[in-house]
Amino acid sequence: MAEGDNQMDGIKLSQVTRTYTLGSEEFNALNKVDLQIPNGDFVAITGPSGSGKSTLANIIGGLDKPTSGKVLVNGQDLSNLKDAELSSFRNKTIGFVFQSFNLKGDSTALENVMLPLIFAGISPKERRVRALECLDRVGLADRAGHLPNQLSGGQRQRVAVARAIANKPTVILADEPTGNLDSSRGEEVIEMLTQLNRDGITLLVITHDKDVAKHAHRRIEVRDGLVHEKGL
Amino acid sequence: MRFLDYLSLSLRSLRRSRMRSLLTIFAIVIGATGITVMLTFVTTVKNLTVASFVKTGQIEQIQIAQATDLRYDPTGMSVQSGGGSLSGDGSTSSTTQLTSALETKISKVPHVVSVAAVLRSRSPAISNIRFKGKDWVVQSVLGYEPTGALTPAVIAGRDLKAEDSGNQLLISKNYADVLGFSGKYESAIGVHITLHTMEGYTGAGANLPTRLPPMHQCAQNQRKCFGGPTSGLPAIDIPATIVGVLDNSENGDQPLIMMPLGAYIDIYNQSQPANVQFAPQNNQQGSGNNGGNNGGNNGNQQPSGPGVVVGGWSRPSVTTFIANQGGFDSFMAKADDVTHVAEVASAIARFGVGTSTGLKALNDQKAQANIIGLVLGGLGLIALLIASLGVMNTMIMSVLQRTREIGVMRALGARRKTIRRIFTIEATAIGFFGGLIGVIFGSIFVLVAKPIITNMAKSGSLTGATFTVPPWLMLAVIAGTSGIGFLSGFFPARRASNLDPVEALRYE
Ligand SMILES: Nc1ncnc2c1ncn2[C@@H]1O[C@H](COP(=O)(O)OP(=O)(O)OP(=O)(O)O)[C@@H](O)[C@H]1O
Ligand SMILES: [Mg+2]
Repeated sequence: MAEGDNQMDGIKLSQVTRTYTLGSEEFNALNKVDLQIPNGDFVAITGPSGSGKSTLANIIGGLDKPTSGKVLVNGQDLSNLKDAELSSFRNKTIGFVFQSFNLKGDSTALENVMLPLIFAGISPKERRVRALECLDRVGLADRAGHLPNQLSGGQRQRVAVARAIANKPTVILADEPTGNLDSSRGEEVIEMLTQLNRDGITLLVITHDKDVAKHAHRRIEVRDGLVHEKGL
Repeated sequence: MRFLDYLSLSLRSLRRSRMRSLLTIFAIVIGATGITVMLTFVTTVKNLTVASFVKTGQIEQIQIAQATDLRYDPTGMSVQSGGGSLSGDGSTSSTTQLTSALETKISKVPHVVSVAAVLRSRSPAISNIRFKGKDWVVQSVLGYEPTGALTPAVIAGRDLKAEDSGNQLLISKNYADVLGFSGKYESAIGVHITLHTMEGYTGAGANLPTRLPPMHQCAQNQRKCFGGPTSGLPAIDIPATIVGVLDNSENGDQPLIMMPLGAYIDIYNQSQPANVQFAPQNNQQGSGNNGGNNGGNNGNQQPSGPGVVVGGWSRPSVTTFIANQGGFDSFMAKADDVTHVAEVASAIARFGVGTSTGLKALNDQKAQANIIGLVLGGLGLIALLIASLGVMNTMIMSVLQRTREIGVMRALGARRKTIRRIFTIEATAIGFFGGLIGVIFGSIFVLVAKPIITNMAKSGSLTGATFTVPPWLMLAVIAGTSGIGFLSGFFPARRASNLDPVEALRYE
């Protein structure tokens, strides 16, 4: 990173293969994928169901490990990290947004946003301030005390976005973030994510939706475990 | 991450499945309550035993007898560990008699504060006690020197004092009961009763005439019959005063009367005529002039007519009397301090007598209480182990139910260790609350049972019961159930932490 060149910054996959073994059958969900995403990019990932999109995102986010190949994020080789380091990487570098929101149902919006800050070991006081800031950024400061089931679908996903940015990550991985929302609520969420990207966060959005994909600077398609660049 | 953060995450999940959590906790509560109550009871009994040994001075006592397998008895009765009284078979007995000379030697052993000699009735000089015109048979009478060495436990009144030279009595609880003082033993104190002697009695207070009435026919095992030339003499009544009521539970509640040794010897040391000349009766045996030297072995002879005492009456000396009894039944020695008891006991044993200490008796009783505690505590522990299966089940359910949440937490940066701790703390919290509530329930139970037990104890040795849950037990129970929770949660928590985050996130 000393040179600050693009080789060190951003996401770099080389020859990444993820193989699932079902009995004696081997199946490559990702097959020797090479991919480079510079910092601050906005990438839409499309492709048919079961093509390996989520697998790709999970490997970039440090939730899954490639069977072979190398994953570098900001110069850090994820395959060499121990559980504690990898968890810390997810905590600080990656913000996950899921299709089904995945909020803790027994916790308020504020508490949900504070969760990654708890894992980061941030003091209760600061946690609260920062979580409130994040809720404010998604326009839900006035819903801080609401439980997820007291919020609409769009609001829940916005809480999830606030949670994803709570620890100031450099990358947001959104796996079908609009999949459970109607088009206008989805549009709001995408608008929000686009804004975050404008503020400097690298944004990877997996989507089926062409309208969503068209917000991106770059589109790639995953097909049978292979990544294809698609022009705009 | 701080402990409070873990705790709040763990408790939140307990609160979410409230019913399940409560039921799981309740199973722990049952075991914890049981253990609290049972061990409190055992501890209380133990403490009271110690307190009573200390209070009565028994803890500093060394009992001495010819029996080498002597079992300590705070009333001074010499009882062999087999259970039989020494006067019976005397299976393991030394040849050293307990004499006044030996008593003097014992009193000179370093750290011995005082010694008391004890004699126990062999012949039934006193046949019964009389009170308000009714008679109760007397079984055992014990005379002891009120030197302060022997301090029988009284539940009312007092022990004998050195000044007690007359017929001051300690009567066992069961006598007080039949005399009508059951439950109000204090009112027996100062009451005058009558010691009614045998016919043919020639001890203190007896009128010793020169002309003897005809001898009594003695059938076999006839309690009231002395036999012998004096057997025709009338019984007399000896006035006596109750000064204390004995707790005789140590002796299996044998009826017992205790009196000062001097008074005891006065009564039991019988005078004997030097010689008796009997008038012939029915011309059967001629003029029998059988010497009345050994009163009592004439039982199988034909009764004789009235006799004349020739050569006057005489009474054996105290030394002779005691020697005739085979020596004192026991001595009770008292050490200056509990730490010297063992030392004093072994020094005395070197005189060739059997010893037994209150300290050892106390330790035996404590050991017994500990065994009971272990058994009862073991039952509680079994209940807790069963409850721990419940905790395990609940935790496995919780892990399953929260699989997706575990995946999310992992995605948000929770380490394996973090997940493991959240679940471990959840399980430990179940144990902790179970123990806490159990201790509270147990304390309430003890509080409710206290008056009942105190009431029951009033008549026994548990007088003034301090029946409360000891703080160490509270802490131990809570720590124990927390530990059980922790252990029960160990494997489910490990399972949770080993979940693959991707799989967990996909879990429906
Ligand atoms: N644990 C597993 N064992 C075996 N095969 C798996 C496993 N997880 C995923 N796969 C396979 O890997 C392939 C890629 O899965 P992935 O979830 O990445 O697809 P996707 O592109 O995200 O699909 P969708 O659009 O439906 O979410 C699929 O064919 C799937 O069946
Ligand atoms: Mg997918």
